[in-house]
Formats: sequence, C-alpha cells, structure tokens
Amino acid sequence: MELQDEIRIKAPRETVYAALNDPEILKEAIPGCEEITKTSDTDLEAKVALKVGPVKARFSGKVKLDPSQAPEKFSLTGEGSGGPAGFAKGGADVELEEDGEETILRYTAKADIGGKLAQLGSRLITGTAKKLAASFFTKFAAAVEEAEAEA
Amino acid sequence: MNDMTPEDRKSALKGMGTSRKRVEDARFTQGKGNYVDDIKLPGMLFGDFVRSPYAHARVTSVRKDTAMALPGVIAVLTAEDLAPLGLHWMPTLAGDKQMVLADGKVLYQGQEVAFVVAENRYIAADAVELVEVEYEELPVVTNPFKAMDADAPTLREDIAGKMDGAHGPRKHNNHIFTWEQGDKEATESVLSGADVVAEEMIYYHRTHPCPLETCGSVASMDKVNGKLTLYGTFQAPHAVRTVASLISGIAEHNIRVISPDIGGGFGNKVGVYPGYVCSIVASIVTGKPVKWVEDRMDNLMTTAFARDYHMHGKISATTDGKITGLWCHTTADHGGFDACADPTKFPAGFMNICTGSYDIPVAYLAVDGVYTNKAPGGVAYRCSFRVTEASYFIERMMDILAIKLDMDPVELRMKNFVRKDQFPYQSALGWEYDSGDYHTAMDKALKAVGYDNLRKEQAEKLAAFKAGESRSLMGIGTAFFTEIVGAGPVKNCDILGLGMFDSCEIRIHPTGSAIARLGTISQGQGHATTFAQILASEIGIPADDITLEEGDTDTAPYGLGTYGSRSTPVAGAATAMAGRKIRAKAQMIAAYLLEVHDDDVEFDIDRFVVKGAPERFKTMKEIAFAAYNQAIPGIEPGLEAVSYYDPPNMTYPFGAYICVMDVDVDTGVADIRSVYALDDCGTRINPMIIEGQVHGGLTEALAIAMGQEIAYDEMGNVKTGTLMDFFIPTAWETPNYITDHTTTPSPHHPIGAKGVGESPNVGGVSMFSNAVHDAFRPFGLTQSHMPHDHWRIWKTANQLGLHG
Repeated sequence: MELQDEIRIKAPRETVYAALNDPEILKEAIPGCEEITKTSDTDLEAKVALKVGPVKARFSGKVKLDPSQAPEKFSLTGEGSGGPAGFAKGGADVELEEDGEETILRYTAKADIGGKLAQLGSRLITGTAKKLAASFFTKFAAAVEEAEAEA
Repeated sequence: MNDMTPEDRKSALKGMGTSRKRVEDARFTQGKGNYVDDIKLPGMLFGDFVRSPYAHARVTSVRKDTAMALPGVIAVLTAEDLAPLGLHWMPTLAGDKQMVLADGKVLYQGQEVAFVVAENRYIAADAVELVEVEYEELPVVTNPFKAMDADAPTLREDIAGKMDGAHGPRKHNNHIFTWEQGDKEATESVLSGADVVAEEMIYYHRTHPCPLETCGSVASMDKVNGKLTLYGTFQAPHAVRTVASLISGIAEHNIRVISPDIGGGFGNKVGVYPGYVCSIVASIVTGKPVKWVEDRMDNLMTTAFARDYHMHGKISATTDGKITGLWCHTTADHGGFDACADPTKFPAGFMNICTGSYDIPVAYLAVDGVYTNKAPGGVAYRCSFRVTEASYFIERMMDILAIKLDMDPVELRMKNFVRKDQFPYQSALGWEYDSGDYHTAMDKALKAVGYDNLRKEQAEKLAAFKAGESRSLMGIGTAFFTEIVGAGPVKNCDILGLGMFDSCEIRIHPTGSAIARLGTISQGQGHATTFAQILASEIGIPADDITLEEGDTDTAPYGLGTYGSRSTPVAGAATAMAGRKIRAKAQMIAAYLLEVHDDDVEFDIDRFVVKGAPERFKTMKEIAFAAYNQAIPGIEPGLEAVSYYDPPNMTYPFGAYICVMDVDVDTGVADIRSVYALDDCGTRINPMIIEGQVHGGLTEALAIAMGQEIAYDEMGNVKTGTLMDFFIPTAWETPNYITDHTTTPSPHHPIGAKGVGESPNVGGVSMFSNAVHDAFRPFGLTQSHMPHDHWRIWKTANQLGLHG
C-alpha cells in the first residue's frame, strides 16, 4: 500500500520540523494515540487504538526517525503489533519545502500489513489509511498553526 | 396386499430406481437437524484458538496471565502444556506430523498457537485477545517453486536433514515426496519422435470446500467410568475413534465417537484438526465437556484447502489426431504440513487417472510434494482423491492439442476415446477401468445440445465481433470425464493402515420392519433415503419401513466413512450383500413354512413363492415374524446379517458435459447460457437424488472455475478469508442445468452402481474453464489460469489486444 499527498501549513519550516519531533503535538495529531514517548533523539514508542472495518485493535509500536537531511527531508520507519488483530510495518519520506512564511509538506508512505487486518480489512485498508493520514495532517497543521499563532 | 399386481407391490417398496423423497428433509426443513453446535451438555465449556497473524515466525513467548485473570477463563493451553502428554504434535493422514499448538514456530497464517477454555464463547473470544504472544518474523515462502530453491529457508526445522520421508527419499528440506507412475523412458522417446506435441503449464489453483457448517467437536471425558464421548464433524467417525485411541492412549472401547447431522463435508471434514485434539485434552484436564467450533475465517484459513497443483504437461499425437503419449510433472503445494487425505500408497491421490477417457498407449506422471508457508490440507473437495486435478489436466490438454492440430475438440476426443469393446481397460498409468461406453454418451450429448448448430452460431458471432458489430464472444465448453471412485480394495487402499472396506448391519424386526446401520456418514447425500431403497429391492421390505443409522461408533459397524464417492460403491455394496444374507435365511424359513425344499422357492419382489405355484407364498413380513416366533428345526431364531465389503476394484463413472457462454470482452462477464450434463453412474438408485447431486456438484464447479480461490499475498496473508472475498454462488449466479444419463452398470458391484456425488464437480470445472478458453481460441489463447473471474477474463481480453 502506498500513500502520498501534500498539505500547506501556515508556519515556517523550522517550526514544522520541530513539531514533527514533538511528542506532545504528535500525540494530539495521531488518530487514536494513547501514549507516545521519546526513548532517544531518534526513537519513539507509541500506543495507538485503531479500528479498521470490523477489526479493533490496540497497537504498540516503535518508530525510528532519520533526520540526516533535516530540515528539507526527513524519513521514518516503524512497526507495530496489534496482537491477534495483526501487525503493520512501513515507512514514510517527508519533504518540507519553504514557501515564504509557509511550508509545503509532501509525504510518501509505504506500509505492509498482516494478520486479521490484512484479511478482513483488505477492501477497507487503503481507504482507512488515507483517511487516517488526512486526519493526522489536518490536526497536525492545526496544532502547529495554533502554536505558531500563540508564539 | 395379496390382490396387488406385481407392479403395485414393487412400487410399494420404493426400491431402486424410484425418485423417493428424502426422508431427512422433514427434519432439516423444519429446523430440527441436530448438528455439533446444537449439542449442549451440562457444565459445558468453550474453547477458542489464539492464531498466528504471521505466516512464518518463531514464537518467542506466550504470556497467559492477563488472559487467565479474566473472570470465566478456565485454562489457556500451549504446546508446553500438551508436551508431557505427547499431544503437542499429532500424526497427519499422510504419514507426516503436525503441530497441535505452535511448538517454537508457526508455519502459516492462522496456525493454532494457544487454546483458551472459558465458561462461554464470548469470554473465550475476549480472552484470545488477551494472550500475549511474541513473534520473531522469518522469511515467508508461498511459491512452491521458490521453496525448492537451494537457498530457500527451511520451513520444517523438525525434520531438517532427515531425507527419508513417509513416501520415500526427500531431495530438499522443503521437499516432501516424489511419486512416479508409468514409463518415463518410453514416454519421453514417443514424445521426442512425435508428429505433434502440445506442451502447457496447467495451474489448478488453491480453493476450499467451505461447507455451510464449519468444523467442530464436543469432547466429554467421564472421569468416573473412564469413557470419552466425542461428538464432531467427522466424515469418518470410526477412523477418528481408532486414531484418537492410538494418539491418546485411551483404549478404543472407552471412546465413543458420534457424528451427528453434518452440514456438508466435501472433504473438509475428513482430516484430523488441532481443535478436535484440544477439545479432548481440555475435557480431560477440566473434567467437563468442552466444545470447539470454528468460525468462517478459521475454516477458510486453516482447515483443509483443496487443489494447488501446478501441472506441467506434454501430449503427443499423429497429424491426424491419434494420441501417442502423455507426460506430466506436477508440483504439489501442500502447505506447512503434509496433511493430505489420500490412501497411504497414493501420496498424490489418484492423479494417475490423468489419462482420462482416452486410449493413450504410453504415459508418465511424476508428482513432487512441497512444503510452503500456507495452511495444510490437500483434501478431495467434492471429488475422489486428486481426480478433479487429473481431469482438469487432461481435459485442458485435449483442448490445447486440438488447437495445435486445428481440430474440433469433440472430434479429437471421439477419435481417442477408449472403445466400448476395450473394457475392462488397462490404462497406461495402472488402473483397470471397469466399464464404459463413451462414444454413446458423447453422441447423446452432442445431439441433445445441437452441437453442430452451436458451432455455426459461434462462427457467426465471431464474424459479427470481428466486424465490430458485437463486443461478446461465444464459448462452447466440452468436457468428458472419467472418475475413479469407491476407494477401495484393501489390497492397495488404506488410510493410516486402516483398510478401506465398508460395512452394513441389518436387523429385521418381528413385525417385518428393519433397522440398518452403516460404517459411512451422510453429510447431505441422503443415505437414509437411498440405502433403504437398496435394501427394499434386495429384501422386499418397503423402504419406508427401514430405519437407517450411521455415525455412532458404539452402534454402527466399523467402516471408513464417506468421501471420494465411496459410500454407494463400498457401503452400498455391503448393504446389498448383507441384504442377500437376510434373503438366504428368509428363503430357508419360507421353504419350511411352505413345506417345500429350499430350492423350490424363489424370491419375488416382497415374498418367496413356490416355483410354478405363485399362489403359494410367504411374504417377508410373515417370514420375519416366523423367524423370531416359530421354532424351526436347524435354524436359529432371529433375522439379522452383517456384511463387510472389500471391493474388488474401484468404479469408474463417466460423463459428457457441454456448456455455452457469452463472454463480454469489455466487462469480463461470462454469461452462462446453458449447461448440459450427462452422467453415467451405472445403476441409478434414486434419480431425484442423483439430479440433486449433479446440480450441487455443478454449482461448486461453477464456483471453482469462475471465482473461488484461497489466495495469499507475498507475506503469506490469506486474502480470501471471508465470504466477502471467497466466492460462493447464490441463485443469482447459478445457471439452469439440464441433466441426462446413460446407464453402464459396474460389472463387479453387486447392484452395478458406481457413485455420482462428485462427478459433476470433476466434469464441471473443466467444462466451464474450457468454455472460457474456447471463446478466446480464435485470438490465440491456449491457457489462462482459473478462477475465471471478471477481472481475469477482462485481463485475458486485454492481453489478446481485444480492447482496441
């Protein structure tokens, strides 16, 4: 499964990049996120409750960030397990382009899923993933813009 | 009764040849069936499995405490708990062994990892979610050819390096067996010097029997008297009792296996599954009855797939279409364990029936069984062992050869049929076909459908398509199959060492009614109806006065069960033979009552009459009463008989099937216009039930050919694990069927019957698939893989350049 999209965020690139590394903002933006902790500069652990069609699961996962080309580019890989509901692994490449005071965020994400999620959700999974991604970035943009406005 | 004409007396019996209504249907249509899930015992607990989401992984830990803390959870069993009892692994029907619960690793998605036992089903399902299992992913192999690569990961570490398998030497850690039949050298020499050779890879995809009722069991261990009662969806209850005794150590007389009503089997309920074993262990551990019933996903993902044969074929002929040789190498994908349900000496079943209905002088077959990260099984889904695969192979090869020879596929078949005067016919791959009259059957079919006119119409439709006036192509699918059923002669047919005879025991009651018990078990075939009809004709007691019982090992005589269309050929023969023993004793009683010599009375429909004086007779009713209540010198009281029948040969039903479809090249929709099915199953016991069997078998064939499959992605995810994705035809997709017959009795069967339940699936799949191929024949298509769903048909049209 591959997803890509772009959104415009009313904040400078540095702010957007910093927000992408901020567990508090991430927690707010990730749909169903119950817990997120940074275990190192590049490692995060998260607990997320998700529902895909008839499958409901609580995923616990690990995410590794690769900031070597920051702030223009930024990539992450991760994997999560939802017990009997299945598992997911994948990654995303994020590009941050400066456009005046604003930032254009482009992302390409790839994911493989397994278990019940893949079986029951195969018809729904791409749609659900798109919806989740859209929801994440909308909330993320709102959180960043709100923080920017307050600053 | 005495003033009835012989015809009246005969029809009152409702014997063989009568379309007697099914006696089972009164309870089924009123919701009064009694299936495994209807069984409710006091204090019964419920089991459910924790299953692996991974297709190949190490199981590094299983944590039960959170699940055990849930109120209502009684136990969580893992391989570690079963190991001390030696039950963490179990033998398969194919001489391999299979994990009951994951022992260190999992080999396919859905594999059983832990068994949760709880007070009710809901708690069990909740607790399954709470068992924490840690996995370490391993590389997944779902392609059997890649499984045989030198650097492929070893799937079965338990037998790594053990190169001596249950069916001879293994040549790779993921290899199971090589099975060879026929004359390799002679076949290859014929092929290399042949005028014409057609070569193709025919893939018969993985599918699943998917019966309406899934598999399940209820085990009840009575610790006071040491008796285990096991209810379950078993197509072979007696074999299950023996196997359960061998693996559990419980003496066989202390195990009672009961198959209640079964909601369809189609091969799915032949195997032994971890659920059965776990319900038994859980009942022994808890001292309470334990029920386990699969849900639909469990069923499709884990218990008993069918087919998955990659068949590489070569067929040679003279330029005028006389076949000279056949060669086949099959790669058989058996999944993680070899759990095929085949007679021991036939690891690829009766795949060596692949010379079909044709007189092929020389042939060679080799089958390589291979392990992959898929579910185990390999059952005979509404067919005798691997016969659909064999039949599909030869019927596709015939059509492909016809293309190569630029011949009509029917003409090619007619030219090569085994002739009537060649029976009994010895095939190049080792079978002795008992009887057949193929040319008569095919002629009748061609006349019935107006074959020549159909071909003319097809040519007109093709011209219209080429002229741009139409976007649809007409396909005519022809298949002529020979089945091999009725396994089987004990000299070469056994499963786990159990000879494949079958049995019938009859007791005539003093008032002239009767009970008959058989070693088989109906799953919808209507045994209670048809076997009573055999007896009615054999012993002159009305079928309505005969109760038929099967499936309780404490009462029924031992038999190997119902699958592979074996009930009529084997248990049906036993029924007739037991009936004849009854009749022999009845003759002596009648002679005594009539005060004549035994040889001076003869059987006449429902009575014994004095030869030459038909007004002097004793009815079977009178004889039955006398058998119990009159002291007859030299004859012990009672009227009972039992017969164990070991068939001298298999039976070979055959048929000619023709269908017509219109394929829309733009949508990929195949509109099936007509289906004609002529079956020759020898003597016909109940024409209505035969017709019903043919309708059902054709519908399953339609499903398999046109849409049904168990598909995996590269990670080993089952992509078709629900009925949203796994095609089951409804009345909407099912076409109208025309059935017909010829009758060529089996010469070695007591009543000449051959078995029919599976024939329509064997012939039907080839027929539907051949029709799709036939539609595209003018555009150069030789082979496209089933199932022919809309997407695949569209893709074929696209690849042939028909979308402009």
